[in-house]
Amino acid sequence: MKIVYADNNATTAVAPEVLEAMLPFFKQQYFNPSSMYEPARAVAHALSAARGQIAEHLGGVDPKEVLFTSCATESNNTALRGVIEAQPRRRHVVTTTVEHPAVLGVCQDLERRGCEVTFLPVDRQGNLDTGKFIRALRPDTALVSIMHANNETGVVFPVAELARITKETDEQIIFHTDATQSLGKLPIDLTGEFRHVDLLSFSGHKLHAPKGVGGLFIRRGTCCRPLMIGGHQEDGRRAGTENVALIVGMARAVALAAEKHDEDTARITALRDRLEVGLMERIPYLEINGRGAVRLPGTSNLACHYIEGEGMLFELSAEGICASSGSACTSGSLEPSHVLRALGVPFTAVQGSVRFSLSRYNTDEDVDRIVDVFPAVVERLRRASPYWDPAKGEPRADVEMLFGKKGLKNTK
Amino acid sequence: MAWEYSEKTKQLFMDAVHGKPGTHLGEIEEPDGLGEHGSIACGDAMRFTFRVRRDPDDPTKDVITDARYLTFGCTSAIAASEALCAIIEKGCYTPIEALKITNQDIVDFLEGLPSQKIHCSVMGAEALEAAVFNWAQRRGVDLRELGVDIHADEQEEGRIVCKCFSLTEPYLRRKIEELGLRTIPEISGALKAGGACMSCHHTPGGLQDLLDDIWGKDVTQLPILSNYAMPSDTEVPGAAEAAEVSPGVSPYQFSKHVESVIEHYARPTLQKDGGDVEIVDIKGALVYCRFTGACAGCHAAAQTLKLLVEGPLKEHVDERIRVIQV
Repeated sequence: MKIVYADNNATTAVAPEVLEAMLPFFKQQYFNPSSMYEPARAVAHALSAARGQIAEHLGGVDPKEVLFTSCATESNNTALRGVIEAQPRRRHVVTTTVEHPAVLGVCQDLERRGCEVTFLPVDRQGNLDTGKFIRALRPDTALVSIMHANNETGVVFPVAELARITKETDEQIIFHTDATQSLGKLPIDLTGEFRHVDLLSFSGHKLHAPKGVGGLFIRRGTCCRPLMIGGHQEDGRRAGTENVALIVGMARAVALAAEKHDEDTARITALRDRLEVGLMERIPYLEINGRGAVRLPGTSNLACHYIEGEGMLFELSAEGICASSGSACTSGSLEPSHVLRALGVPFTAVQGSVRFSLSRYNTDEDVDRIVDVFPAVVERLRRASPYWDPAKGEPRADVEMLFGKKGLKNTK
Repeated sequence: MAWEYSEKTKQLFMDAVHGKPGTHLGEIEEPDGLGEHGSIACGDAMRFTFRVRRDPDDPTKDVITDARYLTFGCTSAIAASEALCAIIEKGCYTPIEALKITNQDIVDFLEGLPSQKIHCSVMGAEALEAAVFNWAQRRGVDLRELGVDIHADEQEEGRIVCKCFSLTEPYLRRKIEELGLRTIPEISGALKAGGACMSCHHTPGGLQDLLDDIWGKDVTQLPILSNYAMPSDTEVPGAAEAAEVSPGVSPYQFSKHVESVIEHYARPTLQKDGGDVEIVDIKGALVYCRFTGACAGCHAAAQTLKLLVEGPLKEHVDERIRVIQV
C-alpha cells in the first residue's frame, strides 16, 4: 500500500539532495573538525561553510551568531535557561499558553526556580492580544519567548512586531522566538524585519534534514550562558564535537528551502486549501482550528465533533495515511492538547482533532486520497458514538440530559 | 507513541466499526437494561444496552440474549465494548451473573491492553454494572436483598478527589481495592484519576493519601525533598523608573492628560484624512498607540506618530514620553 505522509509538522522525509550532501562526512571525511592535521581541515571548512550558508539565509547575519545544537528542544533550553542565568536580577518571563512543550516545560521549571512567568492566552482563532502582551511587560521582565508558528494549528504570531514593541519598551528585555515550524516556510530576516529578535531556535528535521540537529541564533551582545559546558567548540557556547554530517545536511536543507520557497509555498497552500475545501464539503460538524488567523501554508488542524481522535488515526493508518491528533489518548497524558484547550475548542470536539501537515513531497493524489478516505472514517466512528444520531446525521438531542455536561454521571 | 494493541484488539475495533456481522455496535430499542459511563469531556463514554429472555416466574432467572453498545473513545475503548458484549452473549448469563464479569475478563479477552488504556476496560465493566442496576429497577428485583453491593449514589455523594474527571473518594476507594491499584500511575491508567492536571497526587486527602490509607504507608516511597526552590532576588532595578513619571500625578490623571493632548493636537488632523489613533496602553512614560481607519497600514505611520502624537505629548505632558506604534 502506498503511504500518504501527512504529518510533516512531526518530522519530514530527508531530501535526496540533503542525503547526498551528508554522505561524504559519513565516509572518507570522518575527521574531527577540531583536529590539527591536514585532512581535518576540509571537515572544519565544511562546518564553517555550513554555518555561513545558514547565516546567509537568516538574513545575512554574522556566522558567529549561529550556534549548532542537537535539536530545537536543546536550542530552547539553552536560550531560556541561558538568559535567565545571565540576568540574576530580573526574574520575570513572558510567554504564551500555546508554546511547544520545549518552551512551556522550561518555563514551568523556571517558575519552580523562583521566576515568575506570564502565560499569555490566545483567542478562539489562536491569535494573541497585543494589549495584553504590552501589559505583561514589566520592569523586571528578563525574557520574552513567543513562538513564530504553532506546531499544532500552524497559526503565525506577529513576532517581528512583538519583538520591536519589546525592545522599544525596554532594551534590556531579551526576545526569543521558537522558529522550528517556520524556518524555510516563512521569510525570516534577522537583519531586517526580525532585527529586534535576540534569539531564534530552529531544527533540521522539520525541513527535510535528518533528526538530531538544530540551531540557535544568538545576536551579538546577548548575554546567554551555555547549557553544555566542557569544551571549546562553538566558541565555548556549546561544548561537544560538532555533528558535522548533520550540520552540513541542515545547511543544504535550508538552502534548498530558500531555492524552492516560492514554488513550494504556492503549491503546498493550494494542496492545503484543496484538502480543507474537500473535507468541509463532505463532513458535517467539522471546524478548522485557527481558520481566521494567518497560518503556515501546509498545516490543517480539524476539529471533528462527537468522535475521538485516536480511533480516527488508527483507521487512517490502516489506509496508509499518516496524521496526528491532539486527543487525550494520543497525548501520553489523559488530557487533550494544551493548544486546543487554549483556543477554547468546544468540549464536544476537543478530543476529536486531527492534524494534517503537508510538505513539498505531497501530491494532488495524496490530498485526494485523504478526501476520499477520511469522511467515511468520521462517519463510521460517529455511527459508534453515543452522541450521534446516524439517521438524522446530527448530534442526538438528548445527549446532555443522558451523560451530563461534565464529569461522570451514571444512570444507576 | 505507536500503537501497542494486541492483534485481537485491532481486529475487534476494525470488525466493529466496519459493521461485520456478529458484532455488537448499536443500541437496543426499549432495552431491558441500560447503563452509561463516562462523558465526552472526559475523553470516553459508553452507552450499553441489553435484552433478556424473561423468565415468567422469577425475574432473577432472566437470561441476557442480546447486548449492544455505542462508544465515544479510542480504538481500545471500542474494542473493549465489543469484547464485553461478546463475553456476555457467549456466557448466557443472568444479569446478576453478569455482574461477576470484571474489567480483567475484558482485558484477557482482548489479549492484553497497554497499562495506560486499562480505563477502557473499566468503563465497560462500569457500564455493564449500571445497566444491570437499571434492569433490576425495571424488573422490581431488590439487589440489596440478594446480597449485591450496589454502592448507591457514591458518585453523587462524597468528596471529589480528582476534579478533572469528577471522581469521588468513595468511588476511588472501592476501585483501588477492587482492582488492587498500588501506585498513582496505576490509578491513572485504570480510572483516569489524577491523569490530567495531576494536582490531586500529593495534596492532603489526595491519591497518595488514599493509597497510604488503604494499603499502609510505604516508607520506601517518600517523596524526594526537592531542591528547586531558589531564593529569589527581590530587588529589581528599573522598577522605580516606571513608577512615577510626574510626581504627584496619578496614573489615571496622567492618562487623561495624554488622552486630551491627543484629542486636541493629533486627532483632528488624522480624522481629516479618514484615520484615527487609539491608545492601547500606557506604561510609565511609554505610550502605546495603534492607528486605525485610513492610517492603519500607512507607510508613513511611524513618521506621523512621531510628529503628530509624540511631539505634542513631549511638549505638553512630559518630555520623557516615548510613543510606541502597535
